[in-house]
Amino acid sequence: MKPAPPHPRWAPWFFVAPFLVLFGVFTLWPLAQSLVLALQQTFGPKLTVFVGLGNFEFLLRDPLFWHAVRNTALYTLGAVAIQLPGALGLALLLNRPGLRGRACFRLIFFAPSLVGLVFVGVMFTLLFQKHTGLINAGLHTLWRGWDPEFAWLDQHVMPSLIVASVWLYAGFNMIYFLAALQNVNRELLDAASIDGAGPWARFRHIVLPEIRPVAGFVVLLSVIGSFQLFELPWVLLNNSAGPDDRGLTIVMYLYQTGFLTGDLGYASAIGWVLGLLLAGVALVQTRLARAEEN
Amino acid sequence: MSSPRPLDFLTTGAWIVLALAVLSSAAYLAWPVPSRPGRQFWLFSPPNEQHYRAALGRWNAAQPNPADHANLTLIHFQALERRLVAAFTVDAPVADLVETESLMMARAFGAPLADIGFVDLTDRLRAEGLFDRINAPSFSVWTTRGRTFALPHDVHPCLLAYRADLVEAAGIDVSTIETWDDFRRVLGPLIRDLDGDGRPDRYLLNFWETNRDLVTVLLRQAGAQFFDADQRLELDTARNAHVLASLVSWIAGPGRFCVDAPEFTAGGDAMRLDGTVLCSILPDWQAGTWKNYLPGLGGKVKLMRLPAWEPGGRRTSVWGGTSLGITKAAPDFERSWALAKYLYLSPQVAESLFRATSIISPVKELWTLPFYHEPDPYFSGQKVGALYIAEAPHVPERRSSPHAAFVMDRMVTVLSALKARAVAQGQFDAPALLPEARRLLALAQRDLSVRIDRNVLAGSAP
Repeated sequence: MKPAPPHPRWAPWFFVAPFLVLFGVFTLWPLAQSLVLALQQTFGPKLTVFVGLGNFEFLLRDPLFWHAVRNTALYTLGAVAIQLPGALGLALLLNRPGLRGRACFRLIFFAPSLVGLVFVGVMFTLLFQKHTGLINAGLHTLWRGWDPEFAWLDQHVMPSLIVASVWLYAGFNMIYFLAALQNVNRELLDAASIDGAGPWARFRHIVLPEIRPVAGFVVLLSVIGSFQLFELPWVLLNNSAGPDDRGLTIVMYLYQTGFLTGDLGYASAIGWVLGLLLAGVALVQTRLARAEEN
Repeated sequence: MSSPRPLDFLTTGAWIVLALAVLSSAAYLAWPVPSRPGRQFWLFSPPNEQHYRAALGRWNAAQPNPADHANLTLIHFQALERRLVAAFTVDAPVADLVETESLMMARAFGAPLADIGFVDLTDRLRAEGLFDRINAPSFSVWTTRGRTFALPHDVHPCLLAYRADLVEAAGIDVSTIETWDDFRRVLGPLIRDLDGDGRPDRYLLNFWETNRDLVTVLLRQAGAQFFDADQRLELDTARNAHVLASLVSWIAGPGRFCVDAPEFTAGGDAMRLDGTVLCSILPDWQAGTWKNYLPGLGGKVKLMRLPAWEPGGRRTSVWGGTSLGITKAAPDFERSWALAKYLYLSPQVAESLFRATSIISPVKELWTLPFYHEPDPYFSGQKVGALYIAEAPHVPERRSSPHAAFVMDRMVTVLSALKARAVAQGQFDAPALLPEARRLLALAQRDLSVRIDRNVLAGSAP
């Protein structure tokens, strides 16, 4: 057999060069630029003035930023506390042995995540309308005491967003949980049943510990995704943060600041703080997972 | 052992990938960029695009040189806004002429005068007497720091559209209505619970505190400017407090007469069609929209002047606005200017605009043309053009600012908070709400001022 020709020393660099170039141009360079921008006050990219840490100082005492942080945290809490148990519940239902039409149900629950966020926003805008929206009209038909003018998108923006996101993502996260459940050791479950463990005991002492790594991963993904929330409220609230900025999220505030008022410097500062927040969340989650393993 | 040749390590597959990369890059670089001779003209309004097509067909036919032809491109509002920002901040390619909306132009006005991406038309407008020929208030929103950067397309006065079939069947004569208080008193008996569930199913007016446009229209009718002549915020005024406190009594409490029937939504249109809402504030452009999208209201609606805030007060307001700007990137200003004047000043284009959209021209000498004075069967035979023209000189002036959108948002927030306070205290009487309205306005003004003054580069730079 003819031996493979020896590689010159620069051969590996040749192969990784496309990635390095793209990563440098589209990730590292913008990252460095955004750090420089965060230290400037701008009106568009042409007009800039160096302000040092001024943007970060203003951000710390900017009530609108903290309002956005509070809204985002509330949404994240709702999304994680409602969506993930919901997803796990769906996965447990679909994982029942002998369930007929499992593939069909899986498709039905997963289907919402196949459509885009913008579509979901438009659809829920119609569903949540006063008087004529399906939710208000339906509830009013079922119960005459229900106010057909119930202002989902005026007074109850965050609950509306959480409902929409549960509809969208519960099926998606269900797939992760279903995969994890199918890897739970059957022998352990059977042994526990023989020893008299009921369904709750089996779930708590066998299933939950077995799926914990996947659950941790799903929680982390959900938290990061929730902190990046933008399109759904933007469409749902008709290209705005809604009345009294009730739907203002961190990324929406970044967008408004950078692209509507032209202050790219302040928007970069918001972006860096968001990045640090997410890094902190990931760090805490990793620490917790490691402590759990130990 | 012989030393390896530099490229021996590349397998056949790697060569294929490399060849494809090189070929596709070369093809991309060599691909000719289609160039369209003549003036490029971008706009965002589909109805305008439709009627300009015919007008520009005539224009192009009359131009022997293809370089003088006009090419029309319809771009979605937000895409056009983004494109203009890119053009004016990083010199991205842009059309010669751009039809802009008032908030879009306001953003362009954030730059120092010399850096605004549109050509300053002030001297040209003055030299050609256009400041006299065009309705004066129509220039205000296209003007910053005393300089005008666009040719106004419209006036957009507001009238009140009402369900004549229902109002007249109840024997009500709307000519007795002069103020908003009269409006509530005269039409009040029409608020009805039709299905016996204890809630009214018919309201007098489409208005809600979350409708930023309508809040702004009503504040402007009362004379609110939001900014003074030096671009300083002007929110905390007795007039604004009075309007906001009154609006709370319109939407909450025992005297409520408004309902939320948002424009451009199927739900809102259904409420207009089934009579849940009797009256709507209607600028001329929306009269055209109704004719196109709500044919079911044809022959059932009429127009009247807006009720005033006080006896003898202004009976109209203004909603929206479009203009034509010539960008600094345009290579031949004179040709672009000639095209702009053809589109905005000619009687033929004004007629096709009115017939397609119900929008009246701001050019005063055209207001006597017969098509503006024809009865319109949709509005029960009223002369719609003449009704809007009668209000055109009285529309409020508007001071343009890059912060206008945020200020309007904040007024909605103030109204929302004032309503919440009224509901919490069960106090819906407008005079009693005035102190709280002033407090909230002062708070909003302080907070917005900090935000606006923070950026030394935006806004009022010379």
